[in-house]
Amino acid sequence: MSGIQLLLIAGVSLITVYFIQRMKAAVFSVLLMALLCLTAIFFILQPELTSRIANYFGVGRGADLVFYIFILLFWFILLKLYARIRKLEATVTELARKISINSALNETRGND
Amino acid sequence: MNNYFIVIPCYNESAMLGKVIDGLIDAGYPNIIVVDDGSEESLSGICAARHCHYLRHAVNLGQGAALQTGIEYAIIQNADVIITFDADGQHDPADIEKMATLISQGKADIVLGSRFTGSTQGLSFTRKMVIKTACFIQFLLSGFWMTDAHNGIRAISREAAKKIHLTENRMAHATEIILEIRRHKLRWVEVPVHIVYSEYSRNKGQKTVNGIRILFDVVLHKLFR
Repeated sequence: MSGIQLLLIAGVSLITVYFIQRMKAAVFSVLLMALLCLTAIFFILQPELTSRIANYFGVGRGADLVFYIFILLFWFILLKLYARIRKLEATVTELARKISINSALNETRGND
Repeated sequence: MNNYFIVIPCYNESAMLGKVIDGLIDAGYPNIIVVDDGSEESLSGICAARHCHYLRHAVNLGQGAALQTGIEYAIIQNADVIITFDADGQHDPADIEKMATLISQGKADIVLGSRFTGSTQGLSFTRKMVIKTACFIQFLLSGFWMTDAHNGIRAISREAAKKIHLTENRMAHATEIILEIRRHKLRWVEVPVHIVYSEYSRNKGQKTVNGIRILFDVVLHKLFR
């Protein structure tokens, strides 16, 4: 086993353990994460296999295929996060608006 | 006359706000709603002295958010015509009458001020180009050709105000209003207005590079509708 394989396996395992510890209640997510972790370790130990899959898709190296998939994944996550931020912003706005309107209404009622 | 409500969104405008409000009261518009968008120092003193409605966002959200808050509050206050007005003193209270009249006579649901058909002082060439580009983009998005974009003075009928809901908190709200006009099939008209660009309003106003940020917000607004 080469150095990079050890490093990657250690990293993947740490992230998985951390995730599972934090998300104990979400059974489905934990199972999915564990499955993902096992797949990752499997491919780290068998790099020739990714290359064969890559060749099947017309990509030269396994590492390149992983890179391309990650670009797609990255864009997807970026959009999802952005949508979530916008939703959060809308919630904060709604709160600030309700508070300001209510306190202004209370003020005028107090003056009458 | 009493059911005209002026909505002034402001953020750190303590220098000009008092003068702007006085100008409106002198012109015969006593119903003024100031929406303080989380200014560093409270503007309540300036407003209380002039018997204005004062609303304050606990945090700074942006001009679009402040406008929407003011409009909702105006509806609660039984406004028949809602006029939006900038706090930096670039608008002329004398322009309100003809805009609001078009609404109260039922000739339009929303009246937009245009600085290019009216008289405008101190408008720089770059600013003109930026606004014209914005006009063109708005035309592509909405199909409405307007001579001005992102002008702060507008008059909106009560019914139209109930339909319009601005979700763009920052400056892209000005384009969002146009999209809302299209969505709700509102009758709109442009009216020439007088705008004075002072040293103060130029400093407070939008920088040219901000146009790119606004465009970014507009594009994302279309994407995440």
